[in-house]
Amino acid sequence: MDDTPVVADGLGRRYGSRLWALREVSLAVPAGQFVAVMGATGSGKSTLLHCLAGLDRPTAGRVRLAGRDITRLREAALTRLRRDRAGFVFQSYNLLSTLTVARNVLLPARLGGPRVGPAALAAMLDAVGLGGLGDRPVGELSGGQRQRVAVARALITRPAVVFADEPTGALDPATGGQVLRLLRAAVERDGMTVVMVSHDPLAAAHSDRLLLLREGRLVGDTRTPDASSISALLAVAA
Amino acid sequence: MRAGIAAQALRAHRWAFVGPASTQLVAAVVLSATLTVQVSVDGAPELSEMLTAFALIAVYLTILLVGVTMNAAIAQQARDVALLRAVGATPGRIRRAVAVEAAVVAVPAGIAGYLLGLLAGWAWLGTLVDHGLAPAGARFTPEPLLLAPILGILVVTSTVGALIAAVRPARARPAIALADAATRRPRFTAVRLGLGLLLVAGGVTLSVSIADLAADAADDAALFVMLALCVGVGLLGPFVLRSAIAVGRPLLALAGGTGRLAADNVAVLSRALSGALVPLVLAVAFAAVKVAVHSTTTHVTGRTGPAAEAWLDYSGTAVYCLFAAVAAVNTLATVVVGRRRDLALLGLAGATRGRVLAVVVCEAGIVTVTGLVLAAGVAGVTLVPMVHTALGTWTPYVPPSTLAAGVLATAAVVAAGTVLPAALLTRRPPIGQVG
Ligand SMILES: Nc1ncnc2c1ncn2[C@@H]1O[C@H](COP(=O)(O)OP(=O)(O)O)[C@@H](O)[C@H]1O
Ligand SMILES: [Mg+2]
Repeated sequence: MDDTPVVADGLGRRYGSRLWALREVSLAVPAGQFVAVMGATGSGKSTLLHCLAGLDRPTAGRVRLAGRDITRLREAALTRLRRDRAGFVFQSYNLLSTLTVARNVLLPARLGGPRVGPAALAAMLDAVGLGGLGDRPVGELSGGQRQRVAVARALITRPAVVFADEPTGALDPATGGQVLRLLRAAVERDGMTVVMVSHDPLAAAHSDRLLLLREGRLVGDTRTPDASSISALLAVAA
Repeated sequence: MRAGIAAQALRAHRWAFVGPASTQLVAAVVLSATLTVQVSVDGAPELSEMLTAFALIAVYLTILLVGVTMNAAIAQQARDVALLRAVGATPGRIRRAVAVEAAVVAVPAGIAGYLLGLLAGWAWLGTLVDHGLAPAGARFTPEPLLLAPILGILVVTSTVGALIAAVRPARARPAIALADAATRRPRFTAVRLGLGLLLVAGGVTLSVSIADLAADAADDAALFVMLALCVGVGLLGPFVLRSAIAVGRPLLALAGGTGRLAADNVAVLSRALSGALVPLVLAVAFAAVKVAVHSTTTHVTGRTGPAAEAWLDYSGTAVYCLFAAVAAVNTLATVVVGRRRDLALLGLAGATRGRVLAVVVCEAGIVTVTGLVLAAGVAGVTLVPMVHTALGTWTPYVPPSTLAAGVLATAAVVAAGTVLPAALLTRRPPIGQVG
């Protein structure tokens, strides 16, 4: 059984009867790789991420997540697979603002996912720099702190793969850098796989591999160069 | 409890459940009072029969109004539901959480309402005896066993209303549900359109076909005409509201940017506001039909009905209208509470509190006018065949002063559900509301 964390084969997604937002995308992400997905606004980055993560279903092609074909999986089974094997960080609106930091981080576990003990929770909060803030309602935190809560929630179940959609889009460069280093550390330390959408060359520079989308098609797939070369690549792709 | 954390997340929005809870309280009061008085006047068969009819109407109204308010409360939480789905809540778990939450709200409201209803029933029975409608010997007999059916009706309708609102957010792919919640795109599906048209057509057909029935039977059936038309109007609400805006835009443009902003807001909120149209139109149409039947009779024949009977008829109608008005206020307020972030953003974008409230007043105006036009239509469809058969006239008559009072009362109900909560929500500086 092939358990490559993420595999897409001829992936396509169309909204309504409009043009294809995603077209003929095939790729495989091996374990322990940090992939950045880049492209102009509207090029289909979020759509690709949603389809790979099982948050949306493709109109064409197939997706395998953590070794399972999810293309035809029933919604409840797909949800359990996501809960147990994948983590998510979105650009904004990541958290239930009425719950505390700890409760947000424990959400996947409380929703029936892998159990998390108090020691593991404390260690995770320390690792993301939120030690001692577990009982604060997230409504009271700064943007950077909230995004670290989201990262902690994504990592706490030790998923095979973490999907992040512009996780630093709403943060200043310094705070954004901290969040990216957290993801990078998870890749180095635990061999976790990360698929991250970004339009910021500095953010993408933390990755191992760069995917470029244009009008829904995969037009580039390379080892990640340095930030200035990424900017040049983006200019060519656009 | 398996629904645990998801139910907890829903419950954290405590303001969202004030509306459904108070509607359920009123429902329980009405049910408890009518049923208790019905049991108490056992010896007077005619009155007893009338009260049975009252109680039945109260049951139908409860099913509809409790369902509508709970539906609105859950619909406001689509964003959190979508997030819970994304991080691992299965559709089944969301449905369980929603059902648990709806039931948890219903039980205390039902018990408190039952007890208050005993008090109301006791007072009501006294008035019935004073008016000579109930035998002087009628003794108030509270019936503890009534609590069970009242709670049952509340819990079931609350849960069903909530589950209907949760169908789509629970089942949708999380990416779509998040996009839906973010854009609040008014969805106007073919099913909704078809069902709405079917109910309106059914209501009109029923109204025409009952015109030849005896007055008593026609009276009972008229209720179903109104219920069908009101639910139909609620289903067609997004379409109706957007048409109303299209028609009224030139007028709204006179109010400048405020008017345009209000028009845009109502268009975006058209689906959420449709829920509030159901009780609003019901309350106004109900009152209009009752008043018009009496005043048209007087106008055409120059005779008035027996005072005691008219009093009973009016007092019953007043109770139902009050009940529906409470539901309308609650549904509207639930929608306003759900958009406190948007209101705060208006403030951050440079609008003064006065300007924000002016926009809300404009929106309330749109809803009031739309509600009045729809209510006039519903009342007309119900009334015209009725008065034509009974009195041979095609034109129901309502005294102008009564009409004006009705318009003012409707505006007051809408304002109580929109302007009042908005004024309360904008008291604090906007920045705290945005996170
Ligand atoms: N829920 C949706 N409904 C309709 N069209 C959508 C939806 N989401 C995205 N699109 C369209 O699909 C295209 C790709 O969008 P997206 O994947 O969000 O782009 P990106 O993340 O690269 O900015 C865009 O043209 C966008 O308008
Ligand atoms: Mg995007």
